[in-house]
Amino acid sequence: MVYPVASGPQRALSSTRKEGEVQSREARADTAGGSVQTCLSLTDLGMLTRLDDLGPRPRLADCLERLGWKEPPLSGDYPNLRVTRVYLGNEFCERLLPTPAALRSAYAALRALDAGITLVTPLLTDSGLKRLRPLLSILEEGCEVVVNDWGGLRLLRTAYPGLRPVLGRQLYKMIKDPRMPSAQWSRLHPHGGRSAPFQQLLKGFDVAQIEMDLPPFIGPEQFQVGAFALSVHLPYAYVVKGRMCRIGSLNQPDQGKFVAGHGCEKECLSYVTRLARPRSGEPGLVEFQRGNTQFYRYSAAMEAPLREALEQGQVQRLVFAGDWNEHRCPAQ
Amino acid sequence: MNIVAPLSKLEEILPLAAAGADEFYCSVVPGAWMKRFGTSAVSRRAFSNLSQEADLEAAVTQCRALGKRISLVMNAQHYTAEQLDCLLELARAFDRLGGDAVIVGDPVLLGCIGSEGFGFGLHLSSIASCRNAETARFYQELGATRVIFPRDMTLKEIGRLTKAVPDLEYEAFVLNDGCVFEEGVCHSIHLPRNLGGAICMDRYSYTYARMDRADLSPSETEALAHNDQRYLKWLWYRFGCGFSVTDAGYPFGPCGLCALPALREAGVTAVKIAGRDAPLTRKEKSVELVRRTLDRMAADRDPARLMDYAQALRPSERQCASGYMCYYPEVLRQRASRVIARTG
Repeated sequence: MVYPVASGPQRALSSTRKEGEVQSREARADTAGGSVQTCLSLTDLGMLTRLDDLGPRPRLADCLERLGWKEPPLSGDYPNLRVTRVYLGNEFCERLLPTPAALRSAYAALRALDAGITLVTPLLTDSGLKRLRPLLSILEEGCEVVVNDWGGLRLLRTAYPGLRPVLGRQLYKMIKDPRMPSAQWSRLHPHGGRSAPFQQLLKGFDVAQIEMDLPPFIGPEQFQVGAFALSVHLPYAYVVKGRMCRIGSLNQPDQGKFVAGHGCEKECLSYVTRLARPRSGEPGLVEFQRGNTQFYRYSAAMEAPLREALEQGQVQRLVFAGDWNEHRCPAQ
Repeated sequence: MNIVAPLSKLEEILPLAAAGADEFYCSVVPGAWMKRFGTSAVSRRAFSNLSQEADLEAAVTQCRALGKRISLVMNAQHYTAEQLDCLLELARAFDRLGGDAVIVGDPVLLGCIGSEGFGFGLHLSSIASCRNAETARFYQELGATRVIFPRDMTLKEIGRLTKAVPDLEYEAFVLNDGCVFEEGVCHSIHLPRNLGGAICMDRYSYTYARMDRADLSPSETEALAHNDQRYLKWLWYRFGCGFSVTDAGYPFGPCGLCALPALREAGVTAVKIAGRDAPLTRKEKSVELVRRTLDRMAADRDPARLMDYAQALRPSERQCASGYMCYYPEVLRQRASRVIARTG
């Protein structure tokens, strides 16, 4: 199937930036730092101000410390990796799409870090798509966009062909239930990353990179995605997200709580919810909720297959949860 | 507007058709699938399938004789290459039987089936989370002929989408079985109850903390506790008000009856009753409830009177007033605004 490339909206160059400068930074972001690219994700673009004096390609450990992490999410040499790319935005709620002004400011801040930009996008309503278009128009040729909505991917392909789509973890389906007592359960619905029709569909939309989480009981086969580059999010997997948001309903009137498209005061930026469930035997995975989404933290046992996949060159990119985590962080 | 009813047994066809169903949806696990993959997970749900492939043929035959339509569900979120091959075989068999439509949630399977040129329609499952016009076009280009909207879309969103992509059919939920999270991006599984059941029903305890490390103030603590209390109430409505029914057997729980005029106005031509695993009586009463409301709508086009009629079918004034039982609660709010405007 051939998708028409529309003339589409033209991406406007900011008067403060030069196109060549941005393109070379994007290219450097994907080649610097050795064989594994190290990325940091930020929902709150204001957090960039905590990093701006760290200089070009800051150490991952330094960035995480500024963002409230008490210890690095992975042991070994990973804290010494250099951050070469920053993910901006949120994958789980369109109300957290940045404003055009915030995105422009982030561009300036990232220049100081010499980091590439990846815009992260969630599942979208038509209103969300409408808000996304001006953001895509700001991005330079060659910039990455993580898509978690097939319509979002179609929009990129047809109207913004110069941007590079990355398949987000909500579109890369796999069973990731932290409560599963054995690997047997995940075999009910094995993931389809190795299927040729899946890969053909993605190629038809110029997708070259896929993002994933580590499911419980992960095996080596789950890192096999053919010719696609693979990103792994760390140290959390998302399990499920809602359209309705429990914490987002906090300040809504009773009849306006938990209804489709309800308003919110972005309470997700202020609160984290720790989750616990009664269980017997071994302690389970650490679980928490930020906004409308439930996450679990990887166990040490789950990191071992990742290290192996990294050594074998099956994973090209690590994406660390900068501010969308369960760590409480002092205001600055 | 067609009523689309769930089917898990052959013997349900006649009573549900008599109650007013126009279309049925069902799934079946082919013997070859069980042999190769050892699971019954052809669809999102592993249970409530027709018991054998021969039943599918009989169901198609019965539906055709009754002038009803039947759709086959294959709506897991993802499949392996081997599973896709197996499902294509099933689709070919369904086509030979003369089935009316296949319901698919995975774009890969949808594309595979769409490229085969089968004679049946290709319905996009609610699992696919089609919430915008670009996504509708994406699936249309792969071969979809109908979009089944996901739960929890507003009527405004539905209307905007149907207007933007008018050459598709649209189906929306009207009764039963609410999902707490977004079904299409739920990567959990419904475990057996002794292991926690569905993740949204599991017994999690919640502890809140501020990201800025400040302690929660008394007013925050109070507001969070109130919010949690309302959430639990909302969950109760989501799960069918404790799966309760009226004396006449009509089910409580997620409902869009009052919104039928608005759905029709928005271009929705089919309304879906959820609950393949429900007992026949619940299915029958659900169909009857929707049929009575649609018949009333055909006789009287006034939306306010229809709302009164639909709410009176179940003595559920309190439930209806809460708004938590509604798939489309904005119709209640719109009515309340009109009343205030008239009296104010």
